Amino acid sequence: MVIEFSVAVENDGVVPVVRVSGEIDVYTCPKLHKVLTEVVDSGKIKVVLDLQNVHYIDSTGLGTIAHSARSLSKSEGQLNVICSRPQVRKVFEISGLSSKNINLFEEESKALLA
Amino acid sequence: MSQSPTVNIQIPAQSDFVGVVRLAVSGIASRMNFSIDEIEDIKVAVSEACTNAVQHAYGGGAGTIDIAFTLHAEKLEVVVKDSGKGFDPANAVSAKQDGANDALFGLGLGLTFIRTLMDFSEIESVPGRGTVVRMIKNTPVATTA
Repeated sequence: MVIEFSVAVENDGVVPVVRVSGEIDVYTCPKLHKVLTEVVDSGKIKVVLDLQNVHYIDSTGLGTIAHSARSLSKSEGQLNVICSRPQVRKVFEISGLSSKNINLFEEESKALLA
Repeated sequence: MSQSPTVNIQIPAQSDFVGVVRLAVSGIASRMNFSIDEIEDIKVAVSEACTNAVQHAYGGGAGTIDIAFTLHAEKLEVVVKDSGKGFDPANAVSAKQDGANDALFGLGLGLTFIRTLMDFSEIESVPGRGTVVRMIKNTPVATTA
């Protein structure tokens, strides 16, 4: 069964949380890119990206996330990614992005506080 | 000895069809007793080959991508082929190279995933004539024998 892709921003607290569900691939990535760009361009210093309900991510999704992380780091900001699924973490690790300016967390509370 | 069965799929070179290929990969790999982790690895690798074709082969124009799955006793062989403009694999930047533009970064990263997650891969691409990505994942029996 394919879980429908969705992306939404929660601005309830100090740190905006971008929550994504479904599969991030070449088809759905433009929607993620649009939302992440809006959040980053709004001037936030720290952004949390919740991928706990993402079952699949490919190179286009990682490229978009890396682009946002680069933009944030230019203004001394940071992108904290919540990612608990082993297969999704594996993709980040192979890409080498998790050792750069993207911080991976398994729990939301830690991603918000870091 | 009977010939290994082959499943052929042709999709339009459009982004919304790449997910269809992933569903096919899941069904085919499940028949071959791959573990869930191995099936996910194959899904990523095959999907990346299709994504490369969608993004780079036809320059945004119409075209098709042919995917052939051959179910050998000891391995799954997947060939992803397009008839697009091709590229020089040497120009695809490393996934870890800084300063690359996003399109080249994605291409390099996709190739990194294919090489890392499959047991064998090769890419033949001739400018103006298209690209063929061939990859193999050994079955659990072949790996442990």
